[in-house]
Amino acid sequence: MMKYVLKRIGMLVVTMLLVSFLTFLAFELISGDPARSMLGTNAPSYQVDALRHELGLDQPFFLRYFKWLTGFFSGDLGISYSYRQPVWDLIGSKLMITILLSLISFALIVIISIPMGIFSYQWGGGPFEWIRTSFNQLCMAIPPFFTGILLSYVFGILFRVFSPGDFPDLYEEPGAAFLHLFFGAICLSIPRIAMTTRMMRSTIVSEMNKAYVRTAISRGNDRRSVLVTHVLKNSLTSVVSFLGQTMAEILAATIVVEQVLGIPGLGRFLVLSIAQRDYPVVQAIVVILAFWVVLAGTLADLINQSIDPRLRLGGDLA
Amino acid sequence: MKKKMNRYLVVGLIITGIILAITLIGVFWTPYSPTAMKYGRFQPPSPSHIFGTDNFGRDIFSRVLKGTGTTLSIALATVAIGAVAGTTIGAVTGYFGGVIDELLMRLNDVLTAFPSILLALLIISLVGPGKKYNVVLALGLIFIPSFARVTRTAFASLRDMNYITSARLMGAGSGRILFVHMLPNVLRILLPAITIGFNNAVLAEASMSFLGIGVTPPDASLGYMLSEAQGMLKAGPWYAIFTGLSIILLVFGVGLIGEGLQAENREVV
Amino acid sequence: MRKKLMAITLVTVMALTLLAGCGKKTSDSQSKKNDRAAKNTLAVGVAQDFDSLDPDHMTVAGTKEILFNVFEGLVKPNSEGEIVPAVASEVEKSEDGKTYTFTLREGVTFHNGDPVEMEDVIYSINRRRDGKDAAAQLDALSVIKKIKGDGNKLVITLSEPSNEFLAFIMNAYIIPADYKDLETAPIGTGPYKFVSRKIQDSLVLEKYADYWGEGGSIDKVTFKVLEKAEALITGLQSGALDVVPHLSSDQIAQIDKSDFDIMEGNMNLVQALYLNNAKKPFDDIRVRQALCYAIDKQMVIDTGFDGYGTPLGTSMFPSFGKYYDESLTDYYKPDIKKAKALLKEAGYPNGFKMTITVPSNYTPHVNAATILAEILKEVGITATLEPIDMNTWLDKVYDKRQFQTTITGLTSDNMTARKLLDRFGSTKAFGDGDKRIVGNNFTNYSNKDYDKILKKALAATDDEEQTELYRQLERNLTENAANVYLQDMADLVATRKGLSGLTFYPIYVLDISTLKWEK
Repeated sequence: MMKYVLKRIGMLVVTMLLVSFLTFLAFELISGDPARSMLGTNAPSYQVDALRHELGLDQPFFLRYFKWLTGFFSGDLGISYSYRQPVWDLIGSKLMITILLSLISFALIVIISIPMGIFSYQWGGGPFEWIRTSFNQLCMAIPPFFTGILLSYVFGILFRVFSPGDFPDLYEEPGAAFLHLFFGAICLSIPRIAMTTRMMRSTIVSEMNKAYVRTAISRGNDRRSVLVTHVLKNSLTSVVSFLGQTMAEILAATIVVEQVLGIPGLGRFLVLSIAQRDYPVVQAIVVILAFWVVLAGTLADLINQSIDPRLRLGGDLA
Repeated sequence: MKKKMNRYLVVGLIITGIILAITLIGVFWTPYSPTAMKYGRFQPPSPSHIFGTDNFGRDIFSRVLKGTGTTLSIALATVAIGAVAGTTIGAVTGYFGGVIDELLMRLNDVLTAFPSILLALLIISLVGPGKKYNVVLALGLIFIPSFARVTRTAFASLRDMNYITSARLMGAGSGRILFVHMLPNVLRILLPAITIGFNNAVLAEASMSFLGIGVTPPDASLGYMLSEAQGMLKAGPWYAIFTGLSIILLVFGVGLIGEGLQAENREVV
Repeated sequence: MRKKLMAITLVTVMALTLLAGCGKKTSDSQSKKNDRAAKNTLAVGVAQDFDSLDPDHMTVAGTKEILFNVFEGLVKPNSEGEIVPAVASEVEKSEDGKTYTFTLREGVTFHNGDPVEMEDVIYSINRRRDGKDAAAQLDALSVIKKIKGDGNKLVITLSEPSNEFLAFIMNAYIIPADYKDLETAPIGTGPYKFVSRKIQDSLVLEKYADYWGEGGSIDKVTFKVLEKAEALITGLQSGALDVVPHLSSDQIAQIDKSDFDIMEGNMNLVQALYLNNAKKPFDDIRVRQALCYAIDKQMVIDTGFDGYGTPLGTSMFPSFGKYYDESLTDYYKPDIKKAKALLKEAGYPNGFKMTITVPSNYTPHVNAATILAEILKEVGITATLEPIDMNTWLDKVYDKRQFQTTITGLTSDNMTARKLLDRFGSTKAFGDGDKRIVGNNFTNYSNKDYDKILKKALAATDDEEQTELYRQLERNLTENAANVYLQDMADLVATRKGLSGLTFYPIYVLDISTLKWEK
């Protein structure tokens, strides 16, 4: 087990290194010069060159990457080009907001879809099944940003329950801030609740068709008790890896939802910083987001390993 | 049982068929010119303009017809790239395993963890702006990992099946085994994955338009229209609502087809 | 199981109601605004976050616009477009135009209470000039040969006479010598002092009681950063904001006019369809003229901007007064037949295909491009829009000139008309890249007469002569249809009823000191 954990952590580190290197490489290739971006159209080229020098952009690529890497490992994320302040001071509070947004969404998904999955299995079949399944499909088809637009219109413009774009201070008005985040979480979770419910249900179905369940039932055990004692436990591994993936997907989707509802989280800061070519900030956010994605996958795997040791034999295929 | 399962397929095909038919008509004929700006700013829906008009006084219904076409073609091309490249990677990694597998899967991880906006900007910079296939290329690349993951598992599980082993023993080459013997079986998993991928592509294209980084197609797609509509919620909410509903209907139709296909699979198994 | 589900639903619904309750309390800010008038404070909405607050590092126009209230140079601009004394009480220019003598004003203090000393002034100018701390802002202070303090007199000697010197020294803001915390706690000498700032959220200024001049009326101003267009409108309607500058006509249409006054000024920029004069078919003057005849500016303004905006015919806007030649606006009267005839003559009887590249985050430019594409259809030209990210635009269009046509707005960020004209000097005459001595000619306009006049204009020391030459340059641009000039966009500002004194400047600033609540 220990060996496996170490291997996964090793893979995580390698992936992170690759991501950070690729991001750095991307800056080289993406058109747009931070210095020109900051100075605008009126600045003559000698001024742009002077600023490039000041920002250290005229140094060789590998030297800059190496500097960044050593800085990163000593806890220094660099200085933002446009704010001239340490990157970490800028993104700390934003990280908090994005984490909260993701956690609320995740909680909604878990709390609603797992019981719904079991429920829809229990009540499966029947004349209304196709309606329920279609409804499920419909929910999956609702894009988070569209929900965001609708919520902005209904609760922001018509009822003025919250003001999209004007995010209350997390510490001064926690209630209002939480409400704002909650609307974001609704956008994020609707399609994913539908997906998780569906996935939950189909896992139970395929598990129930397995030989051991049939044997258990034929031995006179109650279907429901078999479901609770054996099937749910055995479905858990697929659910965990699915949720691990969901966590990663939520994070990707926060970028758009933060944009629509004007939530000042990491995603929105990322978009703004890309637009301004504020590379130290972009680099830091990309690494944080990527770490999260990879970590979610790794954790899901590790949890599964401890639930079902057989998986270890199959390597990381699960 | 079988009849009930197929209902999704039938309904899905009907919805998608109707959308396709309307879109096809939209290529040749729209009630008004989708670009003409002479119907009055922000007119609410009425019998003559059933979806209303936008800030330039353009007929939204005509624009939705054209936009659906753009969205459809982008999504199809995206999925084609993702599916072909993803399946190839999945086949190689799943069948051969070993170092290549490890390497490609790490690359997959990296691609998954890398924010798609940055990837899209990168592609625009490399290809140069203004190329029609920018969007498709950017989105296609993003979709490769998920296809690779799905097919890899399928190929890996088929690898040790008896009929594959016997084919190998009879001297069939790897290429022949992969494409002639394994692919048809993988297709069963691939088809529903393609419908899901198609839907994700529609949504991803819209998200990209939304972030306004310039992977915008030359003709307005539904996603681009929706991002335009967002700034006019107060003056013309119908613009956002009808465009959004069109996206939902499109995705819903294809989603049902996917559901139907999966149900068919279950029957076969 | 069903019970559980019901319980979950119930809990969710209850949580929602509870949250909705919390939300209402805070967003119901109608009472807040009456509060503000009584307390003599103000809330202003801005669409873009501020960048660095160090006067020599700030580059975003929106930051300069607001910190105009915090910092001052030796001289400063007024709303008439004149340069008036500020930290210096008197300016003297020598006969040969090479020596300027500034007398420091008595009793000017920094916001921390320290008096402004000669040492601070010299430090501030040098900081901007040597570029070590402020590479971003080298500007044209390179003409300074020597700076010398003598009692309360500051003598600056130039290497050559410069008409623009005062306009440049105006932007060398006076800061305390060796002060290190400009980023987080800027200190200047202006009528308002910095209180606090939250990144991507807000900036607070307070009236500086010991200001040397008349000072402001409002005690405290909060600038709230709201990057979403709807958020600014919602903010006004709900009472959270009193002033929002730079609104679009689409936004204005959504504001309740009984609560707000809409003030209309000019953005002071030249919005045009800029043509790459080196690329076919735009290297042919007949094609360029055909475009000018085909495009009805007023129609663009009516369709896309609800009628707000001033049509332009050349690279200059009305705020520049004497430099601006209004007669050029109608040089090309909209005439489809003439446009078609010109196209035919140029060898394009059936029109051609072209691309309009636009920075995607500038809605006014995207809108204008959308309308132009529609208008150009009438003469058989198929124009395709290519919205790209602003930085890609700067790189590919502005720096590398890989484009056919583009829509943007050119400005002049100090009070000289020069920047709007000198950029059209040809590469042959004025060099390229690092060697270039005038603005970036991204349109590749190349005209011998233009170069000749421009050279004369740059060398001119007599103001009247220079003005006349500038006007000749404008005429040259129009006659040769260098670009399709569209408009100086309207600067629409919403102010709450009861607030008065909003003053428009010919440069991009928002002067808080003139605003006041009517009692």
